Amino acid sequence: MGIVEGKESIERCGGNGMVFEKIHLRMEYVSPEGLRLDGRRPMEMRQIRAEIGAVSKADGSAIFEMGNTKVIAAVYGPREVQNRSQISNHALVRCEYSMANFSTGDRMRKSKGDRRSTEISLVIRQTMEASILTHLLPRSQIDIYVQVLQADGGTRSACINAATLALADAGIPMRDLVTSCSAGYLNSTPLLDLNYVEDSAGGPDVTLGILPKLDKVTLLQMDSKLPIDILENVMQLAIEGCKAIANYIREILLENTKQLEYRRGV
Amino acid sequence: MGLPNAFEDLSSELEVDAFRRLFPLRYFERHLAESIRTDGRPLGKARETSIFLGAVASANGSALVKIGSTTMLTAIKMEVMTPSLESPDEGCLAIDFFMPPICSPIVRPGRPAEASPVVSKQLSDTISSSKMIDLKELSLVSGKAAWMAYLDIYCLDADGALFDAALLSAVAALSHLQIPAVAMNDDGKIVLVSDEDGRKQAQEPVNKEKRKLTLRSIPFSLTCILHKNYILADPTAEEESIVETHVTIVLDTSGQLISLYKPGGPVLAYTSAIQDCVALTRQRVKELKSFLDKENPDMEV
Repeated sequence: MGIVEGKESIERCGGNGMVFEKIHLRMEYVSPEGLRLDGRRPMEMRQIRAEIGAVSKADGSAIFEMGNTKVIAAVYGPREVQNRSQISNHALVRCEYSMANFSTGDRMRKSKGDRRSTEISLVIRQTMEASILTHLLPRSQIDIYVQVLQADGGTRSACINAATLALADAGIPMRDLVTSCSAGYLNSTPLLDLNYVEDSAGGPDVTLGILPKLDKVTLLQMDSKLPIDILENVMQLAIEGCKAIANYIREILLENTKQLEYRRGV
Repeated sequence: MGLPNAFEDLSSELEVDAFRRLFPLRYFERHLAESIRTDGRPLGKARETSIFLGAVASANGSALVKIGSTTMLTAIKMEVMTPSLESPDEGCLAIDFFMPPICSPIVRPGRPAEASPVVSKQLSDTISSSKMIDLKELSLVSGKAAWMAYLDIYCLDADGALFDAALLSAVAALSHLQIPAVAMNDDGKIVLVSDEDGRKQAQEPVNKEKRKLTLRSIPFSLTCILHKNYILADPTAEEESIVETHVTIVLDTSGQLISLYKPGGPVLAYTSAIQDCVALTRQRVKELKSFLDKENPDMEV
């Protein structure tokens, strides 16, 4: 399933003594019955799972899984600003994104400090900064660290969702939750929550981050070409995905608060 | 509910917490006088340990280990490489230990933790000197192809006894490791044989029988901290920050001493103290061996 008879071209590439035979066939990402490569419907998101308090040493932490993508986020703060010159009457938000060496299919050589990680760190920082009420915590610093343990597409979104949960766990005041989801357009169908294979298919990939209650978009990134009228549809699909994730996150936070209440004996 | 009551409880709670932060040594010693530690453990007892094999599905071997709150995730990835000229029959094992900033408030991005390269070196030294792995088992075609196994250990939560948890997770991952099947294709190069193809296997797998590594003597370790006349096993990060003298002892399953590490510290240890540490370690080795055996019933030792 998923492979359509078409032109075959065999590409050989070598390195490390291994020869990979890449066979290019015209891939069908959505079957005629309307199923994707992993059996999902076009508007179906992968299974999400979240857990709060994974890192005991952190002020707030969370694990977020979207299908096979697993991400762990830890928040340290508000704490004293390290660099005296950066003290201001707003909290300083810092973010670092890194991927574990074993997170992708082939082992990565440089997992931190490369351009993609730096870019995603910046994106996550600016997205979360839009929601944190930084004026309530002057002269302090909030550090958000995100580590990708398994990458299967949508790592950016999983990181933002994990960071939201971790910030909530740390008790940092925010305007609203920030949830994020990706959507794409392959075989003339808008698809929600792309995995790695669909992402690398070369079609457009729209990543969206919203403040669900306030209905405001804080992050919007798109690769590849997409006609404007189809963009509307794809964005709408991503917004639905984000709202569904927001509901799930709210449930998790509510459950967590109940647990805390039981432990306090309230 | 009694609000005044709650207020009193809260204020006495605050006093204990404040005392703990302001006078950590006195807080600690008050507990020691009663032969107990700050988390309620007896002096020689290690924290609850759990091992979970196969945590990373995409890796050839992986393990998640928790000792108390200290969490280590290890994953092994195998790649084919050409062996060196001096040892054409041997593969290679590369061990890397990472402490990402999520694990501890002391680690800052851009400034790696002090403990990270120390534990990394200790681990590679211990694993190579314990002769747990025979590198010849990692060889495929003599002189032409051999396995390079990358062992990456990530600390996800640093709460003391990092070396113990890291060694345990490395050992657990190695015991879980499944070497992928490879075959030699017509060009004389090694190719991965994929099982899900469904196509007829045109090539015979080169190493069909040797899918798992045989582990000989497995090293297990225990870190103890020495304070005045007390020996405390398996310290938490709080205890490690108060007491600066620690001793790490690595024994293998046959009871042989593989490594002893006491990097200075204000307390000078007499031989009797070291022997007590070894006795505690022996007990711990038995415990850890039974944990690992439970997870991995068909492991050959």
